[in-house]
Amino acid sequence: MNTNTEFSPAVVRPLDREVMAAIRERVRPVIEERLVTRREPEPLRREVLVCHGGACISCRAVPVADLMEAAIDQAGLADQTRVVRVGCMGLCDAGPLVLVSPDGVYYPRVTEDLAHRIVNEHVSSGAVIEDAELTWEGPDGETLRSREVPFFARQLKIALRNCGVIDPGSLEEYIATDGYAALEKVLFEMTLDQVLAELKRSGLRGRGGAGFPVGLKWQFVHDAEGDVKYVVCNADEGDPGAFMDRSILEGDPYSVVEAMTIAGRIIGSKQGYVYVRAEYPLAIERLEASLENARSSGLLGEDILGSGFDFDLEIRIGAGAFVCGEETALMHSIEGKRGMPHPRPPFPAQKGLWKRPTLLNNVESWANISPILLRGAPWYASIGTARSKGTKVFALAGAIRNTGLVEVPMGISLREVVEDLGGGIRSGLPFKAAQSGGPSGGCVPAAEADVSVDYESLQELGAIMGSGGLIVMDETTCMVELARFFMDFIVDESCGKCPPCRIGNRVMLSILERITRGEGQEDDLDLLERLGEHIQLSSLCGLGQTGPNPVLSTLRHFREEYEIHVRERRCPAGQCRALLTYTITEDLCNGCHVCAKACPVDAISGEIKNVHLIDQEVCTHCGACLTACPTGAIEGK
Amino acid sequence: MAEMRNEVTEETVGHGFLDVQRLETEEAIDPEVYRIIDQYVFKHPGGQEQLIPLLHRVQQYLGYLPFPVQEYVAGRLDLSPVEVYAVISFYHFFTTTPRGRYQLKVCMGTACFVNNAQTICDVVGDLSGLEVGGVTEDRLFSLEQVRCIGACGLAPALMVNDDAHGHLTPNAVRKLIRKLKSTARKEKNGNGGEASSEHKH
Repeated sequence: MNTNTEFSPAVVRPLDREVMAAIRERVRPVIEERLVTRREPEPLRREVLVCHGGACISCRAVPVADLMEAAIDQAGLADQTRVVRVGCMGLCDAGPLVLVSPDGVYYPRVTEDLAHRIVNEHVSSGAVIEDAELTWEGPDGETLRSREVPFFARQLKIALRNCGVIDPGSLEEYIATDGYAALEKVLFEMTLDQVLAELKRSGLRGRGGAGFPVGLKWQFVHDAEGDVKYVVCNADEGDPGAFMDRSILEGDPYSVVEAMTIAGRIIGSKQGYVYVRAEYPLAIERLEASLENARSSGLLGEDILGSGFDFDLEIRIGAGAFVCGEETALMHSIEGKRGMPHPRPPFPAQKGLWKRPTLLNNVESWANISPILLRGAPWYASIGTARSKGTKVFALAGAIRNTGLVEVPMGISLREVVEDLGGGIRSGLPFKAAQSGGPSGGCVPAAEADVSVDYESLQELGAIMGSGGLIVMDETTCMVELARFFMDFIVDESCGKCPPCRIGNRVMLSILERITRGEGQEDDLDLLERLGEHIQLSSLCGLGQTGPNPVLSTLRHFREEYEIHVRERRCPAGQCRALLTYTITEDLCNGCHVCAKACPVDAISGEIKNVHLIDQEVCTHCGACLTACPTGAIEGK
Repeated sequence: MAEMRNEVTEETVGHGFLDVQRLETEEAIDPEVYRIIDQYVFKHPGGQEQLIPLLHRVQQYLGYLPFPVQEYVAGRLDLSPVEVYAVISFYHFFTTTPRGRYQLKVCMGTACFVNNAQTICDVVGDLSGLEVGGVTEDRLFSLEQVRCIGACGLAPALMVNDDAHGHLTPNAVRKLIRKLKSTARKEKNGNGGEASSEHKH
């Protein structure tokens, strides 16, 4: 189907610097065309980029791409048009998402019909299908098209630079976008000290959550004594609602491979491991393919690019344990043991994997390394705030309109992220709060939405940057129930090693459960606060120390909501089932009697085909009727 | 961790681990799995560090990790069976009970949670007659709650084996379960031979 052989995905030959330079010269113009917006209403050489990120694939992106390939072939356009299967483009809400270049036209939610139209109208004759193009209403009521849409226009992509632009399976395309140029620079032009100095000056901080300066960490491991050292990539992205690491591994795996190779050279390591969650099969598959490819091309293994430097990588797959995102637990898991943390010191930089000095960074941190070394620390440090440099990737989810992945400069306000890039609340209801940092993080209430997104400002509000999962909530989310949800998560994921986490969090959960059941007691809120602070102080690892955060931060910003649950036995958001009053909406009830059968206490009466009625005296507020009703006639308030 | 617990019945009270083992292994184990283990160990030498990858391989093939197989793995990696069991019991991904033909995995990530995943899970439970962690007697369905599957744009979402279904409503779930049941029924009839002619068209 694809007659264009110059883009064979594999480069199966040992590469040298000359060959790489030739690839860049030949392929770079093709990639650059994908970044422009040049509408040319005539048939010409076009590329159809189909997003093959995880979300788009679950919206049938693969059959859509297959269909377009077949249609292009059938229309006799194969010599001037090809379909490129790229990584995550970011706008998951619009999946399957298609970009036609060089026109720079995005088509959202591409169905089979639309796929045919794109080939037969746009690709063949150059006529943009305007009614299907991605549009957005601008601030003055004007229509913004494709790349002008704020979701794309407001981003600054460094870590995600290649995601959605190149074919993640093609080493050539990666090389063409200055891939492996940073490794060449490190191997042949810079001294070790220069590289370390550059990283430190860039101000890059760990993107996994804690925000430790990356350059300093590299320096520690470089300085640590030992002839065997390890490089580890933490891709155990466990925070529910965060999926940037997965998108980077799926969309640009070589960026991580290259950065880890650079680290190996700097700290003096010959072996690295990428620890990936088992829940990410596609990321594992693409990473495996890229390792294989890098090896056969001489970019991993012995004597990389003729420099005499040896380095190789292996993948280790997690098995579903949130605590393995904690660095000491992760290393135990790589060693094949239960993923239980141990006290630090000793830090991994001194005694890590198999008690050897180990450098551990998360996926997004790795993805930032090569651009910093290529473009220089001053460039990177010019982006962001005084203490938080560069960009951060956020995963937008929840009640927001544009769910997806965005990369923005540090220091942008949360409001801009939610309202401009995210498009505001989908339901049109008022924005209530955003939860950042997952089960270790906290809430930023709408009143504080002008907070600058950087490590320090978020911490002051009791939230954290964390890995970048941003769950946006409207008024239908109950903050007590949300806290209970996170605490349930923490209790389930606690490894059980230290009592404050194992027992303390369990007690906090049972208090929250009784509050959501309407059995809260007056002093419960103070007890939660006291307990939470003790657990923070006395737990062994990050999971326990941060476990109470969601409770403490919701208590801080939404104490009133807790008090209503305790004193008035009421849930203002209408989410805590035991506190709701259930009624049947007459217009919607079709008298099917399903609710009456579901009711465990026979509180619902009514003849078949007639409107039913709930006896409030008998009702135990279990909510069984609500889930049973096929017409949505039952309402809980 | 619900899958680790076994139903306590009159017969099993007070018997503990050994009886659990007996209960779990009533089913015959495909002997091919032992060859797979041998092959893996031959290709990937090393002790404990190969344990988790090997367990993944075994579970991929068998669908679960029965005790005799755990013992065999322990022997091959020069570990004690309890070291193997300790790892299996620690990680959510590993299971010692067989799963259903259709594994219903309701995503409980935060994005799904704020989009009413609990209701979806309840509806799935009602329709399949399953508690979370359970498997139907005919092994058609098993129900799990899983961690974020990363399809946050599709919230609330549910995976049937490896396929994600998104933007679910109670009615959409009803349709989905009905479809799975009827597919299974058709196949069964097809195998029985009676309805097969109709099925082939």
